[in-house]
Amino acid sequence: MWSLQRMLRQPLSRALALSPSRLAPLTARKFADQVQAQPDNVELFIDDKPVSVPPGTTVLQAAAQIGVEIPRFCYHERLAVAGNCRMCLVEVEKSPKPIAACAMPVMKGMRVKTNSDLTRKAREGVMEFLLVNHPLDCPICDQGGECDLQDQSMAFGSDKSRFTDIHFSGKRAVEDKDVGPLIKTIMTRCIHCTRCIRFASEVAGVDDFGTTGRGTDMQVGTYVEKMFLSELSGNIIDLCPVGALTSKPYSFAARPWETRRIDSVDVLDPLGSNIVVATRTNEVLRILPRTNEEINEEWLSDKSRFACDGLKRQRLVTPMIADSRGNLTPVEWEEAIVAAARALRDCPPNKLLAVAGELADAESLVALKDLVNRLGSENACTEQYFPLEGAGTDLRSSYVLNTKIANVEDADFVLLIGTNVRFEAPLLNARIRKAFIHKETDIASIGPKVDLTYEYIHVGDSASIVKDFATGSSSHEALKRLESAKRPVVIIGADQLKTPEGPALLAYTQELALRLQDKLADKEWKVLNVLQRTASQVAALDIGYTPGVGKYLQDGPKVVFLLGADAGVVTREALPKDCVVIYQGHHGDAGAAIADIVLPGAAYTEKRGTFVNAEGRAQQTLPAVTPPGKAREDWKIIREFQIPRFCAAWIQRLPATRLMSSVHLVGGRPMLRLPVRGAIPAFLGTPTSILSPNYVPDCHSSFATR
Amino acid sequence: MVRQNGGILGSLHKLYRQEELKDGKLVGEDSFGNKYYENPRYFYSRNRWVEYSDNFHMNYDASQVPAEWYGWLHYKTDLLPHQDPGRPKYKWMAEHTENLSGTTGQYVPYSTTRPKVEAWMPKPKTSA
Amino acid sequence: MFKILDKAKTLLLKRNISTSGRLRSEELFVHRDSKDNNPQTPFDFSEANLKRLAAVIQNYPEGAQRSALSAALDIAQRQIGWLPISAMHKIAELLSVPRMRVYEWATFYTMIKRKFRGKFNIKVCVTTPCMLRGSDCILQVVEEETCCTVGNVSKDGLFGVDIVQCQGACVNAPVVVVDDDYYEDVTIADVQNIIQCLKSGGIPQWGPLSGRFASEPISGPTTLLTPPPQPGFGIQEALLTPSCNPGNPCAPSTK
Repeated sequence: MWSLQRMLRQPLSRALALSPSRLAPLTARKFADQVQAQPDNVELFIDDKPVSVPPGTTVLQAAAQIGVEIPRFCYHERLAVAGNCRMCLVEVEKSPKPIAACAMPVMKGMRVKTNSDLTRKAREGVMEFLLVNHPLDCPICDQGGECDLQDQSMAFGSDKSRFTDIHFSGKRAVEDKDVGPLIKTIMTRCIHCTRCIRFASEVAGVDDFGTTGRGTDMQVGTYVEKMFLSELSGNIIDLCPVGALTSKPYSFAARPWETRRIDSVDVLDPLGSNIVVATRTNEVLRILPRTNEEINEEWLSDKSRFACDGLKRQRLVTPMIADSRGNLTPVEWEEAIVAAARALRDCPPNKLLAVAGELADAESLVALKDLVNRLGSENACTEQYFPLEGAGTDLRSSYVLNTKIANVEDADFVLLIGTNVRFEAPLLNARIRKAFIHKETDIASIGPKVDLTYEYIHVGDSASIVKDFATGSSSHEALKRLESAKRPVVIIGADQLKTPEGPALLAYTQELALRLQDKLADKEWKVLNVLQRTASQVAALDIGYTPGVGKYLQDGPKVVFLLGADAGVVTREALPKDCVVIYQGHHGDAGAAIADIVLPGAAYTEKRGTFVNAEGRAQQTLPAVTPPGKAREDWKIIREFQIPRFCAAWIQRLPATRLMSSVHLVGGRPMLRLPVRGAIPAFLGTPTSILSPNYVPDCHSSFATR
Repeated sequence: MVRQNGGILGSLHKLYRQEELKDGKLVGEDSFGNKYYENPRYFYSRNRWVEYSDNFHMNYDASQVPAEWYGWLHYKTDLLPHQDPGRPKYKWMAEHTENLSGTTGQYVPYSTTRPKVEAWMPKPKTSA
Repeated sequence: MFKILDKAKTLLLKRNISTSGRLRSEELFVHRDSKDNNPQTPFDFSEANLKRLAAVIQNYPEGAQRSALSAALDIAQRQIGWLPISAMHKIAELLSVPRMRVYEWATFYTMIKRKFRGKFNIKVCVTTPCMLRGSDCILQVVEEETCCTVGNVSKDGLFGVDIVQCQGACVNAPVVVVDDDYYEDVTIADVQNIIQCLKSGGIPQWGPLSGRFASEPISGPTTLLTPPPQPGFGIQEALLTPSCNPGNPCAPSTK
């Protein structure tokens, strides 16, 4: 394995050296030792327009800089150059033959013609050859409508066919491959661009794809029957320019022009990848990545991509209350809210406990904390534990990824402590792999030996190693490398901190990071990183939640409010017999199963919610579909306990941000001060909060149904 | 006319229900209690009418007239249903029902498609 | 009557889906596990071959062992006559390359035999020059003599017959290749002799079987009949270097 990875490193770094412009948009940060003497730019002419680019840039990239787009199939800016589709042929003056723009470095005074007769004829010819071996099954192809081959044959192809082989030798047909339950292959459609092969070996680090055979018989596949076992496998669906690799769950579901696309943010891992939610008729059909250079580039992990079918299963669609036998029975909102409000009102403040789960958005976290504070309690906590010893969660830098995801690429030594990054944050792992391959970054890991898709120095799996590292008493090679590194990064997994030695582990890691930080010439560089496990944790700690429930559970709470807490840290066995459990969330799971009152909330595709990712970046999801059944946005449900009755309908229409700003203004006041409160007509009398003792349920309430 | 309509109170009641007072000969009554009147002194098209049964209160509507009286009321025949020997009577003929749209008895077609969202079913607890 | 019924039946049962011809591959470029070719097929390099392989690997710099891939495949194939998938896995492991890279290589080159092709793999060239010189008859005789049709292996496992394209010996067409040995200028009788000889355990003499030395004209040389002049021919005496003297073993003798 060692030599294999090294091998990949060399040609790739050379390929990268050819095109420095590829790095330019990634990050504006430049480090002292990275700034090299820039060679003079090369000037060339593309369609008679002068363009000046650094030497080593390809013609295709130079053309892109002045907005001339050259058609391509095999070229992809994040993969190595292959140059095998020939679609990017352009005419260059004084060159006897057209050249492949994607692989040709610029030369001084080159005159490129991207729209000359020769160029157009070359493209038409290439297109014709590609179509000779491509089936005409667009009407039943899932890629139809978003197919590069379709688009480019319309733009650059011939208007008539000369293909007559169909009457003689026939058309090429290739057997389909089985690469697992996520990716559907129709290999006859493959045009051999090899993007999937390059993605698998360069980005995903799983060398399972390749070409077998030669000439007409060549085919892309795995040769032996094999699953494509990568946590990033779904990306080859997006990469495939034709319909050879399509999404199996999404197959025959919709056409791209039928879907409505809503930009949103993923919440299934702590990185908050940017996504596009494609919906039709109020149904989430698929999730695609959205380019964000600072987080996910243009990749998406399989969990985030394929988990959307879970949004249609096991949902909480109606409020429920446990009847006398303890069976949850559906009720109207009115009844459930009143029951929950009574329980909250009658609970002594020190016996109240609110637990926020993995997928809670910042708005509902604030609303819940306000509610708890208003009832005179401070018992708001999250499921995920984080040591409170030392600085605890007072300093934001002690619980986020301080280096930032994109900057990990610039690190020259990465130390992973107790984290399987490939599993916990696949795209961060892809970044580390990218740094490893393209930039000679070395990685060491303390923890169980796992396959991280790149080679690393395995220091050991004992927590005492961290102590040795922190005190400098270790003589391990990794420590020396770490100390001599100019831009070291230490990443500690938050899951490790749950263990009894967690606080010590964190303290030693902080000590180590501090020691490294002090030595750095670049004071801007941050060394310490904590990789949280859930999308809600950073926001919750920002808002002031206490991490971990342990202490509060021992107090024997009377009322437990679970905000999507499904991780199973709160169980019936740990609670007193008479404890009332209120569960608010979108899926029926561990939390709802132990609840006495269930309030159906909205999933991340159904609400406008703010999520703070592991590096502390606040991002907003947008509602793509409406919550199912009677479910509602989470913060609105919690606010229901606090608002005057007649405002209920009105508040439903408020955008989240507006309400949130008013929340911050009033702080822990008993009642939410709404901007129009002074304008309430006198005949309505004094607003009665649902929490006040003289409140009478009103059957014509606005929130009886959605 | 007032007398025929049941005195002053009765007349007021009828006026309230029907917004009209008419005098005429009671020619028959159907199984629901609707009363059918005729008065040839009124001009054609207003000389046959129905007074809905009190059972319907204010919720009367034209669909409460059974089919056999409908013909007479709309001048399709001059023979009263109970006096018409040519009317077929079979066992399988169903009782007249009024139009139930908009009431709880209305017909609602059920959905034949799978619901887009499958709801969570809580596990029933065995009673302790 | 039956005829009409039959016609009606064919009309009714005719599929109304139109399909086009398919250009099929002659070979299978995916692996299917079979009884004698699966990842568990026993394969191990012999001691001598391991040494040989180590020597080849040594030719390449550290971290570039994959360059020895073609040599490794060849050594493995020479050891057992063909290349089961287990051998490819073994090579991938030895050279620390992903298995897929070995498959790619093995399927690209036609010299790699991914199936057992008999103890003697007889390859008959059927490209134009050989065809003009009667390769059709040769192929027929080969099939008859080996009791094996093209693409198959004879029952006794001795012969596997293949059609191949140009072997690069067109001047000596027709050509039959047995493993690494080229039999050129073959006639029907020659083919029969070769195969009989192979059957009886011998290795027939390879080369042109028409009595030619190499690829000179069959009727004897028509040009260059006289020996070429020596080096230094026509150069004045004084300029001749000692290396141009007739005593030089490289120079053709002029007797």
